[in-house]
Formats: sequence, structure tokens, C-alpha cells
Amino acid sequence: MKNRILQAYKQAPWRIQIQWIGLFLLGLVLIASITGVYLSVSAQAAASGRKIQSLERQINTINNEIAELTSDLATARSVDRMKSRAQALGYVPLDPHQAVYLEIPGYDPLADLVLAPPRVNIIVESPSVLSSYRRSLWDWLVQNIWQTPSLSLQPEGEVMP
Amino acid sequence: MKTPFYSRYIIIALICGLLGAGIVIQMVRINYTPFAQDLIAKSEDYQGVRKTIYPPRGTIYDRKGNILATNQIGYEVGIDLKYVVDPESIAFAASTLLEELDYLDVFASASTEKRAEENRYYVLSSFVSKENVEELELLKENYANRRLETKSIKPSLSGLVWSPMQQRVYPEGTLAANVLGFYNYFSRENAQGVFGVEEAYNRLLTGKPQTVFLPNDPYLVEPLPDIEPGASLVLTIDRDIQNMLEETLEQALAWSGGEGGTIIVADPKTGEILGMASTPFFNPNQYWKYQETFPGITPYNRAVGTAYEPGSVFKVITMAAALDSGVADLDSTYNDASGVYWVANSWPIYNWNYGAWGVQNMTECMQYSLNVCLVYVAIDLLGEDLFYEYLQAFGFGRSTGIDLASEANFPLRLPENNQWMSLDLATNSFGQGIAVTPIQMVAAISAIANDGKMMTPHVVRSVVDKGQQYNVSPQVINTPISEQTARDMTEMLAYSLEEEASVALVEGYRVSGKTGTGDIPTELGYTSNLTNASFVGWGPTDDPQFVVYVWIEKPTISPWGSEVAAPVFRDVVEQLVVLMRIPPDDIRIQLAIE
Repeated sequence: MKNRILQAYKQAPWRIQIQWIGLFLLGLVLIASITGVYLSVSAQAAASGRKIQSLERQINTINNEIAELTSDLATARSVDRMKSRAQALGYVPLDPHQAVYLEIPGYDPLADLVLAPPRVNIIVESPSVLSSYRRSLWDWLVQNIWQTPSLSLQPEGEVMP
Repeated sequence: MKTPFYSRYIIIALICGLLGAGIVIQMVRINYTPFAQDLIAKSEDYQGVRKTIYPPRGTIYDRKGNILATNQIGYEVGIDLKYVVDPESIAFAASTLLEELDYLDVFASASTEKRAEENRYYVLSSFVSKENVEELELLKENYANRRLETKSIKPSLSGLVWSPMQQRVYPEGTLAANVLGFYNYFSRENAQGVFGVEEAYNRLLTGKPQTVFLPNDPYLVEPLPDIEPGASLVLTIDRDIQNMLEETLEQALAWSGGEGGTIIVADPKTGEILGMASTPFFNPNQYWKYQETFPGITPYNRAVGTAYEPGSVFKVITMAAALDSGVADLDSTYNDASGVYWVANSWPIYNWNYGAWGVQNMTECMQYSLNVCLVYVAIDLLGEDLFYEYLQAFGFGRSTGIDLASEANFPLRLPENNQWMSLDLATNSFGQGIAVTPIQMVAAISAIANDGKMMTPHVVRSVVDKGQQYNVSPQVINTPISEQTARDMTEMLAYSLEEEASVALVEGYRVSGKTGTGDIPTELGYTSNLTNASFVGWGPTDDPQFVVYVWIEKPTISPWGSEVAAPVFRDVVEQLVVLMRIPPDDIRIQLAIE
């Protein structure tokens, strides 16, 4: 009786072969998929790396251009240049005895030059990468599934001291 | 069941296993050999380059925001032997377009035989102009086109490379160079500020260089760290006032035949230096010519770097000490009966004209600049202890603390020193036998122009660092005299100028001041006919907004400060009041009343 039952469930050899082939192909597809994803991510990483290098070069070039333009502007506004341009336009140095003085409320010729905000204590946050990009899957699970969000016991409109 | 070849399989497996194990052991062993570090270092060469990134040096502005020092682009031109094909063309192009290069030197550097050597990059020239690099670029393109036409590998500038880098530039040229100093940027690693603000604030201006690794492998590339530029400085110097001072000084030296000179303008209420001209003038854009402009021990900035015997301008300090201590008042008199004062019955002191001036009050003593009277005040009224106590309170004998490099200081010879003599007290009272720098005089006189409060002289008004501005607060060094004494001195010296009808008077503005003619000591004593002509003045008398100090060294047109330095003071003030927007006294008082 026992032998008969075993006999009834025994797979045909061709079925076993197909199963093995199926498993092998499944593995192959899995490996191919992983390889494809890996290659794709690697290619993107390489492209990003090259883009970073290119952007760094651009930043450098732009900084150099800014420096060049700043020095050109400073030279164009230098005392000698301004004086020769003023003379060419027909201006002459002011005779102190011909000066006319007007009182302008709020004008202070010796006022402080402001190039930047005054010193204050600022807490600077490090690079603006969103927190969602810095946590692992495990952190996300802990935070969103296993930790029950705390319910506020504070009645609406009431202000805690 | 064992196959007939079982033992053979085992042997092959063993051999393969042993080979594998051998390879693994060898790999581990190599890692611990002395050559391992060299191999690792060599492998890093292929992985990328380690580069030091220098932040741009901070900009220097005048008080109105005009740029006095900034950076521009220069190019480093070099040879990368790895890519050199045609050394002759490289040598020809480089020596033709870059003047300072020699054909043979470049050819030797570009020689392809050196390729095997480790250092395959040679710098040919640093800070080549943009125009020159553009010409090189054009030539390189032309050669490339010619090669295409002729289908040959020559001519070629392959291996001749250039990279941009920032260099210091002073757009105003010589203007304020004595205040700014310069930055010797040719050697990147050892570059630093020299003299002036560039040296005093070198660390702030430089910022923090960082060494980073730049990988060749794109997988390893990361963004470069943010490197903050050096801090920028806003000076107290006003570009227009500085320009006016330098022009006036140049004209004054041409007219007076003076050997050198200095003019300082300061705000007595804050200690801010509004302008500081000093000869010789120097273009910091060509700092390598420093030795030509400043041969020997020529000071870079006489205003802070040279101590000299100031002469009668120093009488202001002696008189202020006498009034403040109460040993004399404005009505005190001195009878100059003989025109000579015998110090310790041994040394005679005469007036400038060797005359006797009779009974004179303190104002007249200052008005006629009577040496004998001031010696009397110092020896008979003040005494050595009180006199030197006041001198030290006015800051003589120590540095002012001005934020410029290379401030000179000549120590005071005090009664407790062995070399001190009573003659010193006599001569010091009228500014001889004592050496002071112009900036020390300005700081001391500022106390008289600022109700007795002596301010720290300074040239930096604000520091801009990491996007924030730090303003420098004026600092009181000392209060050597009372407010009343300061006002009495100011009134006394305004009155004496008016009574004397001095050429220093400025129409429409009441000013206080004192002339000075200092004899110049030689190895044989005071034997030279040449003098130091000085004038110190401040105004407007009722509300002093500026102190002007003029020093003309060894004028030949006249030895007297009243004839050489006083007119320079007037010229300066006439232009200064316009630049500082100070109306004439009557208009200013009328506006104040309204």
C-alpha cells in the first residue's frame, strides 16, 4: 500500500529536468537583473562623477571670471582713470570758496560702509540633504510602522505654559 | 565507487590548491615587504592627484568701498613631458611670446629624453598675462591645422600647458602703497603679505588652504569642500583724501627740495587714519622692484617706520603737561631777559633767533616758539619726574599699536637711565634729543584735539569674514590731560597762529597748530644745516574733526617749518574740508543753530 502511494507521487523524469532548468533560468534571470541594475547604477554614478568634475571646473572658471571682472572694474574706477574721464568731460577740481553746502538730513559722509550683515550668532545647518535621504530602510520602518505616533493630549486652543 | 582516475584527480586538485595557497601567501607577504609602501604610493599616482587649493586672498577696500587690492587671473605656463612631441616648436613659441624665457633653456626643459624622470612637469613661467596665453592658444590651433594639411606630427605645441591662478593686483597703482604693503605671490607656497596691512593682517587675508585628493576614477569623485575665501578688509583710508595727500606731498617736495616726507590725516575722535602719504612712492604691482625703490635702509613707510627729532611741534606736549599739572596757566609769564638758559650752569640753550624776547606769557612762548621759555617750563616748573610722566602718558617711548607692520619705536631716555643728563630734559622740552615717529605725534596730538582722550590709531575699519562684517570699535589708549587743558591748548594754538598771521591759516576755518624745525644730528653733533620741517594742526577749533601732520625732511628752499611745512598744511586743509564735506565755520555754526 505504502509503495503504491509513493509511486503515485513520483515525478516523471522530464518534469524534474524542466524544474531544474526553470530554476537555473530563474537564477540566470535574477543574476542578469542584478547585473543590469548594478551596471545602470554604476554608469549613472560615473556620469555623475564626471558631471561633478565638469561643474567644479565651471565653478573655477566662473570664479576666475568674477576675479577678472572685479579687477577690471576696479581699474576702470581708479582715481587716475576717473580723473582723466572727468577732465575729458570738462569737469575741474572744486574751488573750496565756491562750494555750496546743503544740509541733508541723515547724510553722514563718514558713515560705515556695509559690505555684509553684522556679526550675529547663526547656527548653520550642514549640507541641505533631506533627512529622508540619510536614513536607512530600517530607520524608516522603526519610525513609521513600529513607533506609534504620539497623540497630542493638549486640547485644541489651549496653550501650554 | 572510485573511478580509475580518482587518484589523478586528487593530485591535480592538490596542485591547484597549493598554487592558490601560494598566491595568497605571496600576496600577504608582499604587503609586508619594505617595497609595499612605495608600490602603494606609486599606485596612488595613477588613482588621481593631491592638490592644495588656495582660497582667493581677501579684497581690501577704502572706507567708501573702492577697491585698493584684489585678485586677477594670471596663468602658469609649463611643460608636461609626457605629451611633448616637438621640443623645438615649444622652445620657439615660449621664448618668442614670453619675453623672460630663453630658447635654449626652454628647449633643455622640453627635451623628451627626460621623460623617464619622475618629475615630468616643469614650470616655465608663473603669472603670464591672459593676452599672452591667448596668443599661445592661437598658435597651438594654427599648428594643429598645419599638421592636418601636411599630415605630419610637427610642428606641435603638445605638452605646452597652462592653468589659471589668481594673482594680487593693486588697481590704484602707487596709491596708498605705503599703507597696503604688498603680497609676494610668485612662490605660491611661501607667498605672504609684506609690510603694511598685507603683512599685519596676512593670516586673515590668506584664509585656510586645503589639500584635497582629486581621483581619476569617476566613481570616487566627490564635490570639493567649500573653501572660504580670505577675509576682506575695509580700511579707514579715504581714497580721495589719500590721493590728495600724495599729490600735495609730491608737489611740496618738488617745491621745497625736500629729500622725503610724510603727511598724515587722522580723525582725532576715533583714531582712524583717513590718509597717510609717505615717500618714496612705490607700485606694489611690481613688488619685485622693491630694492630699486627702497635701497639700503630706506623705510617702507616713514609715517610709522622712521623716528626723528621733531623739533618745536613737541613744545605742544611740554606746554600741555605744564597746564594740565597746574604748574603754569595761560597767564603765567617768563622773563626772557638774556635769550639764553644755562642748563646746570654748563650748557647754554638759545632761542631760534638767538634773541632775548623779554616778558612773555605762555601763549606768546608758543606763538614765538621760544626754546628758552619751554626749557624754563620743563626744568623749573615741571621738573624731570612730572615731565617724563606726561611724556609716557602721551605714549612716547612705546609703540602706538597701529595695525600696520614694521612700526618703529625709539625708547625714551629717562632720568633713571645711566646715560640721561639734565641737558636731555632741556632739549626734550623743545623736541630735540628725543626721537619720535610721525604716528606717535599724531596719536599724542589727537588727545589735545579730542578733549584729552588719546585714541589708538588704526587703519582697518571693518573685517568681512564668512559673510559677516565685524566693525572695529575705537579704543581710548589713555587720557593724559584733562578736557579743560585740551581745550585751553587748542584755543592757545589757534590764537597764536592768528596773531602770527601764519601761512597755515585757512580762510573760513579756524584751526590750531604749531610749527616745528628740528635740527638733524650727525656723528659730530648738530652740525648740519639741514633740518626736519614739521607742522601739526587740527580743526575746526571748536569741534576738531581732523589732525594733520606734515613732515618735510631736509628741505633746501628754507630750513624753517613755518615756511616749508605750514603752507603744505594749509594746502592740505583747503582740499580736505571739501573732501570731508566740512562747511566753513560760519555756515556750520549757522546750520547747527537752525
